[in-house]
Formats: sequence, structure tokens, C-alpha cells
Amino acid sequence: MSRRLQKELRDLQLTGCPTGIALLKADDFQTWILSLEVLGNTLYEGEKFALRFVFDNSYPITPPAVMFVVDDENQAPIHPHVYSNGHICASILGNEWSPVLTVSAVCITLQSMLASCKSKERPPDNNRYVSHAPADPRKTRWDFHDDSV
Amino acid sequence: MEPVPERVPTIDDLRVKLCWICRDEEYHDQPSEPRVQWVHPCRCTLIAHESCLLNWIRSAQQDASRSPNALKCPQCGARYEIRSENPFPLRLLNHINTSISLAGRAVTVFGFATVVVSCGFGMYVMLTSYGAYAVQEFLGKEMFDLLLTDDPTNWPWHAFINLPLIPISLVATRTKYFDTAPVFPLYLAWTTSPVAQIMTDKVRLADLASYPQQALLRWPPSPIMVSFCLPIVARLYRRLMRRVRGWVLGPQPAQDLPLRRIELALNEGGPALHVRIAADLNAPDGAHRQGAAAPAPVPAPAPAPADDQQQQQQQQQQPPANNLDDPVAAAEQTVRVTGTSLGRFIGGALMIPKLSNWMGAVLLGLSRHSVLLRRLLGVRPPLRLGAHSPRVRYGNAGWPPEGGLLHQLGTNLRVVLNVICGGTKVWAEADPVWWRNTVGLGIFVFAKDCLGLLHVYLTKREIESRRIKNKSFAGIDPRELDLIDRPAPNGTAI
Repeated sequence: MSRRLQKELRDLQLTGCPTGIALLKADDFQTWILSLEVLGNTLYEGEKFALRFVFDNSYPITPPAVMFVVDDENQAPIHPHVYSNGHICASILGNEWSPVLTVSAVCITLQSMLASCKSKERPPDNNRYVSHAPADPRKTRWDFHDDSV
Repeated sequence: MEPVPERVPTIDDLRVKLCWICRDEEYHDQPSEPRVQWVHPCRCTLIAHESCLLNWIRSAQQDASRSPNALKCPQCGARYEIRSENPFPLRLLNHINTSISLAGRAVTVFGFATVVVSCGFGMYVMLTSYGAYAVQEFLGKEMFDLLLTDDPTNWPWHAFINLPLIPISLVATRTKYFDTAPVFPLYLAWTTSPVAQIMTDKVRLADLASYPQQALLRWPPSPIMVSFCLPIVARLYRRLMRRVRGWVLGPQPAQDLPLRRIELALNEGGPALHVRIAADLNAPDGAHRQGAAAPAPVPAPAPAPADDQQQQQQQQQQPPANNLDDPVAAAEQTVRVTGTSLGRFIGGALMIPKLSNWMGAVLLGLSRHSVLLRRLLGVRPPLRLGAHSPRVRYGNAGWPPEGGLLHQLGTNLRVVLNVICGGTKVWAEADPVWWRNTVGLGIFVFAKDCLGLLHVYLTKREIESRRIKNKSFAGIDPRELDLIDRPAPNGTAI
């Protein structure tokens, strides 16, 4: 199914990424890294984050593993649905995933998730989750408690 | 000219088809080779390869959390309609599969219930056997054979309720929540029970009435009388003991310390059951004990108003300090902490029937040498079984014909009073093993309390008499010590 990724990549390169989003690395069809900025007057003004997409062979039937890059240069945004290890609790990356979504659609959704944030704080169970989290965020059984944030 | 009816377009009329799943395109003038089937399954503009869509549906249905969305268009939410071969055998097999799953669930529940029930039943059997053992130890083999026998099929129905309650109540009397004497449950269970052998012979009230009249006040007293009097005696004894304790150990707090506190706490983090037994170290009224032996700490001299808070803190800290200063409290704690464990707690409770049996046997042995003791214990020769209830009147059983209603009522009352005060005939005639066991247990409890008191007293003496031994500075260079200038024997100062 890497043909679909080829098409998505070509679309991103031809028509350009959505505003605030840029392709940092897409050398193969396994791992892509995109940068993400929240534009406008939000809590994350001036901050820049990096998103890592990991695809497996059955993409887009299975969702990609999407997480914020946490390393020397990048940090995960402080948000009630983003854990400090970069894992994101978002239903569209789990049981609400649909092949109709694309990489750029996921980026836009996460952008708006950050944009609508009202208070910068970590999830209440951050420490407990981070100490036991699996490497692949898709293996976590998320509890989508709060859709409003 | 009639308007041409507008034809509703179908998927075959699209110039470019774009699969929303794999994003492949197909132009109507360049059909792919080999041909692939396209579908438009919903109300919106999304179209897909049929194979891609089926693939997606299959994968989404495998995941329980995603399956609600499997048959829905992600954009317009329309439900996909699927036509498939669903012949009768498949429906039947599906149905059978579902039923077997249900049956499997039932088996799981049933198995779990079986485990619980069999554990419970095993526990019940254990408690009941212990109860029977306790009765045999406490009432003696003779009464046990009359009341219960070794064969549980002879037992009256209430034995199956009373017997398992015996160990439970024995342990319960050891806690501070049930203020009764330890032998009480044994009486509760057995004094009123009719004799099993007579039960099998269909005893009637009239038969009981035909028993020879018994003196209302006899020696030894009837089991019912004893079980009524025992709590009173126990309470009096405890009060007396507290007073003796006061004489021996000095002034005591008004309330007795709770002996032990058992805390069962289920740790939510793990499955382990933590059993913690703690001696109650902080006595609620420790401040009252300060007069016992050690002088109370002198309160701080009248403080300035600014020191109010500090003084309050001092007062709050005082009770524990007093408690540590008080050798009686310290001695009690020493004895209690070292003597506290769950095994001792439960084991001690379950030893009571055996202990009273031993004590009863000792008393019986002693009574061979003392007429007074023999009278006190009411020792009798063992009953000859079968000879105790001649059934001569059995043939014309029934109420005496000459008796009127009043007479019958009087007879009933007499029987009930007789049973309460004198016990049934068998109880009255049998060798009262239970009585000497009770007396023996009483002596044992007394001896144990005396020993305990002695233990606390000696420990208290030991703590009070503690002095730390002074040693000289032998082995240390005197120059390292800041010494008072004292003329040395030879007249030179160091």
C-alpha cells in the first residue's frame, strides 16, 4: 500500500503543506517527520513541534503511529491530551481512524486540537502513564474521556 | 417539447474515479487492466475499490472498539449494505457458535461458583468437625455419645448450625467486641438440645413430665443456670481482677486498654492481604497514669503571652512523654507487644475446650483424695446407656385422662421450670463432666491472669530498677579529657 503514501507525498510536494506544517523528512515510506506550528493567537504561539509518523504495510487500513518528537531539540506540547513522552491521546489515531484521513488531515486535526487548548497542562495521569507506556502509542488502550479540549 | 427526464448518474458516469482508501485514480478512458470493481456505497461523493472497502470493513470488524464504525461511511455516516452468501447452514453454525459461547460463559460462572461453594463447604465441614470435637472435649465422651454420637446422621438438625458456630464464637469472645466468658458458646449450643437418642424414640412432652420431680436448686447447677450466671460471674471476676491489679501495680486508668487491634487491610496496589496486628501503643488517657511511679515532668514556668503557641505544643507532646515515663505502661507494652500474634490469638481460643478437658481431668484426679472436692464437682459414676429412660408408659402415652385444661397447663409449666432449673433427666443423671471442666477452666483462667499479672509486675520492677553502670575512663589518654585540676597524690598537676 506504499502507493498511497507515494500519492500523499506527491500531493504534499506539489500542492504544498497546509499552513504551519512542513515536511522535514520523508526519505522512505516507513517514517516521516513533519513540523507543526500553531498559527494565530493561541497558547502555543511561537512554539514549533515535530511530529513523527510511522507507517506499517497495511496503512491506510491501520492508522499510522503518530507522536510528538521528544529529543534535544524538540519537546512535546504541554496539553491535556499529550503526554510528556510525546504520545497523543486522540481518538482519530485509534478507534476512530478511517482511511479517509491522510497525513495532512491528521496534522490539521492535531493543529486545531492545540489551537483550541485553554490551559497548558499535562494529562492528570502523565507520570503513571509515561513510566509504563509501550513504545508504540497504538498499543495503549486509550480512554477518550474528554472531547471538548 | 417535453423535458428529457434527468438521468441520475451512477459510478460508471464518472470521468475520474478516486478510491478514498488507496487513493488510486482511474480515468474512464483508461480502464485499468485487469478490471477492478468500483463501488459507491453511500450518499456522498466517496467512492472506492470494492476490494479496498471490503478489506477495510474486514479489518475494522476484527477490532471490537472499531467495529461500530466498520459499516459506516466516514464522511456521510451512511450505512453500507452488504449482500453476501448467508445460507441456512452458515446461519445455523453462527447460531450454534453463539450458543456455545453463551454456554461457555455459563460454565465459567458455574465453575467459579463451584470453587467458591466447595471452599465454603470445606470451611463449613472443618468448623463443624471442630465444633463436634469441642463438644466432646468439653462435655465428655459420655454426654457426647448421648447428644451427638460419632455418626453425623444421628445429629439433630440444629447441630449443623450450632457446631460450626462454636469455633467462630470462641474466637469472637477473645476480641473486645464480645464481652462474654470463653465457654459461653459451648453452653449456648448444647444445654437446651434434647438428647439425640430420645429424639429418635419420638419423645413427647408427656414423657418429660413423667420424669421424677427434681429439686429446683441442685448441686451442681443445671447447664442452663450456669450459662445464665456465667456472664455475671465473669464480669464480677473481671472487676475484682482489675482491683487486684490496681493494688499490685498502683493506680490504673479508668478504662482498660484495648488488648489488641487487628487490622485487615486490602492493599489496592497488589493482591496481597496484609494482616497487621498492633498493640495499642498510644493509650487514650495516658496522662492519667503519670502518678504511677515516675514524677511527672515539671510544667514550664509561667510563660510570656507570646509563648502561648509553644506551650500548647508542649502540652500536646506531653501525653506520649508521660507514657514512656510510666513503667507500668511500659511493662504492659513490653509484655503485650512480644505476646501478640494472630496464631496465639486464634490458637488460644481454639485450645479452650481441650484445656478445660485437661483441667477437668486434673480435678477428677484430685477429687479421689477429697470428699469435699467430690461433692463440689458432683462426680457420679458413668451412666449405663439404655437404662436411663424406661419406656413402660409408652403404650398409653398421652395426657393423663383425669387432667383438665388447668391441670395440663400446670403440668407444662412444671416441666418447663424443671428443665430450666434442673435440666433434663439425662443431664441431671449423667456424670457432670461439663461442670468440672467449667470449674477447671475457671481455675485455669485465674491462674493465667495471676501469672500475667506477675509477669507485668516483675517487668515493671525490672524497668524501675534499671540503672546504667558507670565505667572509668580506663584506656583513654587523660590529656584528651578536660579534667578538673586536682592535686595528684604525688603533688604534681598534669
